[in-house]
Amino acid sequence: MRDTRRARLILGLLLAAALVLVTVDHRTGDGSPLSVARAGGSWLFGTAERFGTSVARPVTGFVKALVNAPGAQGDIDKLKAENAKLRADMAAGKLNAARSAELTRLLGTAGTGGYKVVPASVVARRTQGAFEDAIEIDAGTDDGVRPEMTVLNADGLVGRVIMASPRTATVVLLSDPASAAGARLEGGDEIGVVHGVGEYGRLVQFRLLDSTAPLTRGTRIVSFGSQRGVPYVAGVPVGVIERVEATPGELTRIAYARPFADLTSLDVVGVVVQAPSRDPRDAVLPARGSRR
Amino acid sequence: MISVLVVVVAVLLQLMLVNRLPLPGGAAPDLVLLAVAAVAMARGPAMGAVIGFSAGLLVDVVPPTAHAMGEYAFVLTVIGFLAGRGLGNPVTTIVACVLVAPLLEAAVGGLVGEPGVSMAALVTQASVTVVYTLVAAPLVVWLTTRVKQVGAAA
Repeated sequence: MRDTRRARLILGLLLAAALVLVTVDHRTGDGSPLSVARAGGSWLFGTAERFGTSVARPVTGFVKALVNAPGAQGDIDKLKAENAKLRADMAAGKLNAARSAELTRLLGTAGTGGYKVVPASVVARRTQGAFEDAIEIDAGTDDGVRPEMTVLNADGLVGRVIMASPRTATVVLLSDPASAAGARLEGGDEIGVVHGVGEYGRLVQFRLLDSTAPLTRGTRIVSFGSQRGVPYVAGVPVGVIERVEATPGELTRIAYARPFADLTSLDVVGVVVQAPSRDPRDAVLPARGSRR
Repeated sequence: MISVLVVVVAVLLQLMLVNRLPLPGGAAPDLVLLAVAAVAMARGPAMGAVIGFSAGLLVDVVPPTAHAMGEYAFVLTVIGFLAGRGLGNPVTTIVACVLVAPLLEAAVGGLVGEPGVSMAALVTQASVTVVYTLVAAPLVVWLTTRVKQVGAAA
């Protein structure tokens, strides 16, 4: 389309008008006479914009989602990884707290008896049929653990070390059928022998050497101790008599005892590296009535 | 009448929707410029200049405004006249309008000493706007001519 004289005239007039507007508005600043027009536009279009925002928001959100999509997948992956890590940390923290409490109790027990212990954690367990009951602990000869040392936990006797490597050691539990430990009835001098009978350590057999000595349910037994505390130190709580078998005519009496230490769920244990100078007798036994 | 409607709708769309889109680069296409150019191409230079001036005044009063009133009126008057007169074929006309507009804006802004008008802003900000506007151009021009045809038929 060709431009005409008239079109050029209109163009010139409009441009001049625009320039006048710009100049007036710019020169007068805040007191500009055009602020009236601006206020009117503000009111009119402000209303329209407010109304339109609710319409525009979904569109804006959609475009935002599209624009952010490539980064979003990365963000999700990052957050997932962080979440998993935090979850693991939290679980580890709980575990550590539980172990810390158990360790504190173990040290309390050891302190009562005057045993010098090396704390250790159970790292593996072997329970083949009912013929062998052994655990692996994460302390070894580097920590001063030697074979034929007593192993206990916060509640009572656990077993003895049969083999020690630099970093780990193998412990035969009280419940192992091949283990035998000297034991003594609380509050007296009647002695006997504790044998494991398998059963995953729920019960151990106690053979009282004097068949005439009184033996009732609920009597507690502690370790009698071997010569120089090898393999068992004296005074460690062993268990409570649950059942007394009637064995008329035999030279020994047989009873079954429930070990103080829960041999099915061991975690923190202590290896007694030095026996107390004096037999603690019944001092380590929990107070009557309190179940530990 | 249809032209006025098209321009008003373009202004509203521009302010309510397009300027808020979080497009990469931090700029948005200039729909008003395209609408004015498209209407002017159909209506000739005199009408184009008038429509451009009106649309510019509208953009100048619509909030939020931080520039002196009349700047967009000046720019869009020139754009309307140029598009109405035509520079070669329609494609070159639109492209020329889109390219000229930011230069004119900068020139008028610089004339009255607007803060924020600088060479760096022109290169970074305006170039992104030009690209977006060119991308949006075919759609807007097609829509405008379509609306006008429907309006003429009705």
